[in-house]
Amino acid sequence: MKKALVAALLVLTAIPLLIGVASMPPHGDPDAPMHTHVSARYIEQGEEEAGAANIVTAVILNYRGLDTAGEVTVIFTALAAALAVLIGFPAPPKDNDGVPAAPAPLSPVVSFVVRLLAPFIVLFSVYVILNGHVTPGGGFQGGAILGGLFIALTIVLGEGRTRVLLPRRGAPWMQGAALLAFVAVGILGTALTGYFLGYPAESQHLVTELMMLVIEVGIGLGGAAIFATIFLQMEEE
Amino acid sequence: MLEALWNNVDYVASVVLFCIGLYIIIAKNNLIKKFLGLNIMETAVFSFIVALGVVDGGEPPIMGPDATPPFASPIPQALVLTGIVVAVSTTALALSLIIRIYRQCGTIEADELREME
Repeated sequence: MKKALVAALLVLTAIPLLIGVASMPPHGDPDAPMHTHVSARYIEQGEEEAGAANIVTAVILNYRGLDTAGEVTVIFTALAAALAVLIGFPAPPKDNDGVPAAPAPLSPVVSFVVRLLAPFIVLFSVYVILNGHVTPGGGFQGGAILGGLFIALTIVLGEGRTRVLLPRRGAPWMQGAALLAFVAVGILGTALTGYFLGYPAESQHLVTELMMLVIEVGIGLGGAAIFATIFLQMEEE
Repeated sequence: MLEALWNNVDYVASVVLFCIGLYIIIAKNNLIKKFLGLNIMETAVFSFIVALGVVDGGEPPIMGPDATPPFASPIPQALVLTGIVVAVSTTALALSLIIRIYRQCGTIEADELREME
């Protein structure tokens, strides 16, 4: 009975979606509405107007900069909420009558490879963060790589040796780095152009690029610190 | 109808993925599995939006001396980047909530939790 209901619901969901998909313009059609309105303008003038060769970065940091500021707020709020949920609720003491849950021994291959690759991964993430305006990449991607590396290192080396990277006094600043960078650049933009997050005129590409770089570095550091903090807090017993 | 579906088979794949995620959310009992289902649905939406921006023979929207049109639309890519970050945030929060539920109730099976009430 329950299975029949589930199947019926899935079919009822799929049919309207499929009808909608069938009535859309063919995939990859250059004349589809998607490509003829705002996108066309961004592609035509994005490099001139926004000062980034990578139009995706131009959209994220310039045309829709406020949107990204909101997104950064979302991830920071998620960190705050996760910490509020987890802190103060330690794992219940394990009952010892069962088999003690010994952690599986770590494979030496994994441990060696992670330690071997760590410097290269750091280099790659720095490259991705700093080149966000000319190649695919940017703060979020680089930050995710850094955060992933931190998690891998914590698993391999143990918590004690990676906690140093998140010192108690500096950690809040690093977790808020993305928001702080956005606010700083936004205020700088107000001073330069009169609009919050406004970028200077098209002739001053260097200033625009520097402002974008500050945001990218802030997002990268902040994202990595937020991933690392959430992981450490989840792991804590 | 069938021909139109075949032309848009990339979108159809997203629809299938979406339904798989929905099935997992409804049918599975474990909270983590339910949440993985939600993540699959998110992935379906992201792949759908990114597929919208594709042009036949298009290049990535990165300008430069060697860049030749047509370019893929940059807007879906930017939107999906935003969406992925929000998805990560919800994942982190949901996993924290599941950990807290486990610590407080000792189980993350939905039916056992219902019996506890």
